[in-house]
Amino acid sequence: MPTPTDLLQGTLDLLILQTLALEPMHGWGIAQRIQQVSMDVLQIGQGSLYPALYRLEYKGWIKSEWGNSENNRRAKFYKLTATGRKQLATERASWDRLSEAISQVLGKRAEVSS
Amino acid sequence: MIVELRTWFRYLLFRKNLKEIDEEIRFHLEQLTAAKMAEGVSEPNARRQALIEFGGIDATGERCEQQRPGWWAGIMTQDFRYALRGVLHNPAFSIAVVLTLMLGIGSSSAVFTVVDRILFRPLPYSDSSRLVSVGLVAPIEPQEFMLGGSYYEWQDNQKPFVAMTSETGVEPCDLTEIDPVRLDCARVENNFLPTLGITPVVGRNFLPSEDRPNAPKVALISYALWRTRFHRDPSIAGKVIRIDGTATEIVGVLPQEFEMPRLQAADVLLPESLDVAAQRRADPGRPLWAFARLKAGVTPEQAKAQLEPLFEYSLRLAPAPFRREVHYAVRPLRDRQFHDVHRAAWILLGLVMAVLLIACANVASLLTARRASRQHEMSVRAALGASRLRLLQAAILESFVLSAIGALAGVMLTATLLHLFIGISPSGMPFLSAAKLDARALIFSLSIGLFCTLGFGLVTGVSRARANALTSRSALSMQRARLRQFLVTTQIAASLVLLAGGALLTRSFWNLQRQNLGMNYENVLTATISLGQTAYPTAERQMAFFEQLQRTLRWGPGVNAMAMSDSLPPGGYHRDQIYASLRVEGQPPYASGTGGNVAWRWVTPEYFRALNIPLIAGSGFTDDELSSASRFVVISRSLEERMFPGQNPLGRQVYLANRAPADQDPPYTVVGIAGDVKNGGLAAGEEPEYYRLRRSRAEDWDRSAVVIIRSSLPAAAMERWMREQIASLDPALPIDTGTLQERVAKLADQPRFEMLLVSYFACTGLLLAIVGLYGVTSFLMVQRKPEIGIRIALGASKGDIVRLVLASAMRMVLPGTIAGVALAFGLSQVLSSLLFEVGPHDTATFCGSTVLLIAATITASLIPAVAATRVDPIATLRVD
Repeated sequence: MPTPTDLLQGTLDLLILQTLALEPMHGWGIAQRIQQVSMDVLQIGQGSLYPALYRLEYKGWIKSEWGNSENNRRAKFYKLTATGRKQLATERASWDRLSEAISQVLGKRAEVSS
Repeated sequence: MIVELRTWFRYLLFRKNLKEIDEEIRFHLEQLTAAKMAEGVSEPNARRQALIEFGGIDATGERCEQQRPGWWAGIMTQDFRYALRGVLHNPAFSIAVVLTLMLGIGSSSAVFTVVDRILFRPLPYSDSSRLVSVGLVAPIEPQEFMLGGSYYEWQDNQKPFVAMTSETGVEPCDLTEIDPVRLDCARVENNFLPTLGITPVVGRNFLPSEDRPNAPKVALISYALWRTRFHRDPSIAGKVIRIDGTATEIVGVLPQEFEMPRLQAADVLLPESLDVAAQRRADPGRPLWAFARLKAGVTPEQAKAQLEPLFEYSLRLAPAPFRREVHYAVRPLRDRQFHDVHRAAWILLGLVMAVLLIACANVASLLTARRASRQHEMSVRAALGASRLRLLQAAILESFVLSAIGALAGVMLTATLLHLFIGISPSGMPFLSAAKLDARALIFSLSIGLFCTLGFGLVTGVSRARANALTSRSALSMQRARLRQFLVTTQIAASLVLLAGGALLTRSFWNLQRQNLGMNYENVLTATISLGQTAYPTAERQMAFFEQLQRTLRWGPGVNAMAMSDSLPPGGYHRDQIYASLRVEGQPPYASGTGGNVAWRWVTPEYFRALNIPLIAGSGFTDDELSSASRFVVISRSLEERMFPGQNPLGRQVYLANRAPADQDPPYTVVGIAGDVKNGGLAAGEEPEYYRLRRSRAEDWDRSAVVIIRSSLPAAAMERWMREQIASLDPALPIDTGTLQERVAKLADQPRFEMLLVSYFACTGLLLAIVGLYGVTSFLMVQRKPEIGIRIALGASKGDIVRLVLASAMRMVLPGTIAGVALAFGLSQVLSSLLFEVGPHDTATFCGSTVLLIAATITASLIPAVAATRVDPIATLRVD
């Protein structure tokens, strides 16, 4: 099972931004959503999630406000800002480029070894 | 107020944030617990699992906080305040560190600033390392000089030099124009500037044709004169000024940084205009001072060897009595300029480097002691989760706060010391008066100070962070303690050496001040007068002025005695000649060598009364003799014993210029024997001396004289009155007045300077040794805290504990003292040339210094000893 430290540097930011692009969410929700969508492959440890949220907020990519959760508890909700949306596009593009490059390298290697 | 505001402000920002994080995390935990319970886990178990899964709550909160921009600065302020509190919390320790740094940084930068001017100052000549001073040396003149009879022979035939040049000294001259001023005029050869590598900033150098007798008069002026007198007139070259009444054309202006190689002040350069042909024939010829530029790759020693044949030539010219005592020398110009100051400067530099290193060792030792005493606290902080980096940062910050305060104090001490050095420096110490706080020196010492503080802060910080949590003693720290003990012992030995040196010089100075000079210099006022060449061109005019001045002053209010001479004892300039040139009527002249120097002065009859010099035999000079055609002399007792052993000298005839043609060597009648007076400075031995009577004849006078007045009135009032009287005769005459007491005190400047300097270093050394001892003793005390606690618990009294700590201090002090006494005994020989009427192994001085040192060290170790008695046995036992 991949642990959070196995995530590529900067990937966590991308995952959080992508998750928040759909709707505002609290920290717990973000962790759950990523886990669900990745079919339990990606488990976000709280030790990295919250520092990452704070980092993104200080960068101005996400904004937080207190609201009520599904079960009517006070919770802190994060939502994407306009800059955050732009950043998401940029990071997605660079991620696509990177993963394409990696798969190409892996593909070529597979050809050579076969 | 500001601190409170900031704290409040930070509280608002910071606390709210923490609370938010807490609440957010709590929400997360609740959700996690709920999720677990949904899976069927019981509530307490679910909560427990959730907490475990989440990990460190505080750590997460902290890491969120760390994301904040500027988080670092916040932590720094926190740590900084913590460090400041640490510094203030233990004042004895902090003062010790600051004091050490202050002394180390202050002394070294002050001394380096002073020494830098002497040792490393670039001379204002091109490629100055190749410039040398060349000439003969003799007991009469130990610094190189040349004589016209030899110089040109040397200049023509020398091989080691590119060029050789000369100057014939500086004399006062008058710029006689609308606003006349007295200037210093130097006379130099026409190749003087090119040899030194100096180009005039305006105009040109002298032409060879201008450096001849009866050539048209030309002059080069100094930059300062050009600026003040001629307002930087760019077309100054060609302007005609009158120097001593002679029309002289200015041909150029010297660069601003120009100085004479012998460092005399000079406003105007004139050509030597010597008659070279006559000088070559002359014996011995005009005295002059020669300088040369070495050929590339030639050392002064090689140059000296190559000049050997020329020296042989000069030796043949020298009068027989001189031959055995004359030598010759070639040495770098810098060495000549700083003659004997040079070695002292190096010693000083070494001394201060040692002080700086000791200071560093002390700071290290103190910081380690401090760390050791806080080991427990550090371990607790580490156990509570403070990271190693954080602890290290705190340690470095504390060192930084200490070193910053120490550095600031050091800078202030530098300024004070420099002020002091300049204030007490003897006038013979060139350039000291111009010494300014040197940025390089300051940066140098500051960086050493900071480096050692921060460096050791780092080292101790690292070792502490690594140390096992709560072990209180390790073999490693004991080993280090032993090194520090050795260091302290060395310091104590060194400071005893300095103390003994300082004490010896202080005693010697005391003796110097209290010695009998052979005269009474209290209530004596003096005025040095030098008449201008223009207003008083002849000896007759000069004598007329001085005689009128005598009549004006003699019967003034409160004047008990009044005399005029050409020089004053006990030191400074006076005329002298070799003993071999004296001869008693009816006796053969002295034939074995020069016989040493004999001092002499021109005086008026009341000279002995004015200075209270006793007349041992004879009547001395009388007013009747003033108008006599024959000549009279009073000789000192030591001269009498030498010239007339077992005879009565009174009424005998002596010749004072043996070897001169008969018409220049008239007989003098001995009319009195005066008591011996110090005449070679305060410390040096006295030369035999005689006095010639200044009669009312022009041949006995020249342009300069010293007025001596003994008066019962206050000196300040007398001085004003005297100035008024002289001004009433000639308002434009420059005079230099002062009490004889001031003049004598000035002679003590050099020994006072030496005494204060060495004493200062002695005190610094002692202080540093005490601080070092204090540091190590307190360190050992902390190391032995558990042991002391047990001892107290077992019933040891306070006295026992004090004795215990003192004994461990004495184990450093005693070997240090013994080594110090032995070392001082050996080294004090170096000082013997500076000592006056006190032996280099003076018992009282040595005992005194030792007692002082031991007393001081006991005081220093009493502080930790008393602290040891306050050790709480319960607390120490509980820690273990």
